[in-house]
Amino acid sequence: MLSGAAKRADNPVMMNADRPTLSDTALVEAARGGDMRSFERLYRLHSSRIMGICLRMCRRRDVAEDCVQQTFVRAWRNLGAFEGRSAFSTWLHRIAVNEVLTYARNHGTRTETSDEDVEETAESGLGGGGEFDAGEVVDVERAIAGLPEGARHVLVLQAVYGYSHEEVADMLGIAVGTCKAQLHRGRKLLRERMGLEGSG
Amino acid sequence: MSGNFTNGPGHDPLDRALASLPRDVAPSRDLWAGIRADIEATTPAVAPAPAAAPSHRWMRLAAGFLLVIASSVTTYVVTQRSAEEKIQLARESAQKQLLTTSTVDVKQASFGGQALLGAEYMRAREALDAEFQRQVATLPPVARAKLERNLADLRRTASEISATLAEYPNHPLLQELLLSTYQNELALLASVSHVSVPTLNQPETRL
Repeated sequence: MLSGAAKRADNPVMMNADRPTLSDTALVEAARGGDMRSFERLYRLHSSRIMGICLRMCRRRDVAEDCVQQTFVRAWRNLGAFEGRSAFSTWLHRIAVNEVLTYARNHGTRTETSDEDVEETAESGLGGGGEFDAGEVVDVERAIAGLPEGARHVLVLQAVYGYSHEEVADMLGIAVGTCKAQLHRGRKLLRERMGLEGSG
Repeated sequence: MSGNFTNGPGHDPLDRALASLPRDVAPSRDLWAGIRADIEATTPAVAPAPAAAPSHRWMRLAAGFLLVIASSVTTYVVTQRSAEEKIQLARESAQKQLLTTSTVDVKQASFGGQALLGAEYMRAREALDAEFQRQVATLPPVARAKLERNLADLRRTASEISATLAEYPNHPLLQELLLSTYQNELALLASVSHVSVPTLNQPETRL
């Protein structure tokens, strides 16, 4: 006979005995019904990933945080339009990308990145036992932050967050061919700036 | 998405460097308060969920009472809209349909497997479901598929919450979520049948 803990381990909706965890689908359904606490749970689950996307795309922490906030406000207002054909996280990421693009359109693309932002971005994910140390991760972040906007957006979404060319093209409103060209350009520039020419 | 890597970073140093980056970056402050303020400033206030129940027994009784009222009102609305004979015919027709071409799985509504919802509620739900099946059959395939998918999503959600509630029978949030989901299901069924269903603002259980 399975123990309670073992049964919970087999149940995808359980994480620990004290705090039941529901899937995104259940939380979205509840939030659609006006349950703000369910929507807050969705915020807690997804805000860090969205912050990562926004920060790497727009390069400024204050702007990225504004975009994260607007992403969730817009998501709440449009929950009824979410049909569940994609994952909720994907739907949120699309809104976030749109927020960053809207900000860039309204405020130009002169956003300056600071060394502090780059280091904070890198440090926030360290400790995972990877083969790269903090200094190397900071170097990668700095190299990405220095890419031209188009190449940076594509590279972040495709190479860092794993979206396909088609998905990235759709998110950014560009042709798939343009997406591939920007990725190639971004990777080439990164190799040069990281001293990796001739590798890969 | 995607959103996940289909291929590993491999041996390319650039790919390995990119794979070493943290995907998640915590905001420097909790943004929830601002988000909530923005939402509340632009949307109608949502009925606040009650705080932790002072007495679980009292909550059960109150919840059961409210559910009976809601079920009665729902039944009343349905029977007002169409004659009883029509409902009976629709029910029989739907039962035959469900036996043969069950396109949407109708499951018994329950609270965490511990107790069933009232018989009156179930009858109203069955009647609405029969009318739903009848109406939806007349819709274009795309609209029909969308409605059936939405209904299936709601029933899957209810099933998931119910299973979770079986493990945490005293969890007030889960009870609220389950009632809210059942209410949404009734609202969807009723919307297709052009019948309005009153909104429940309190958590309800009939145990």
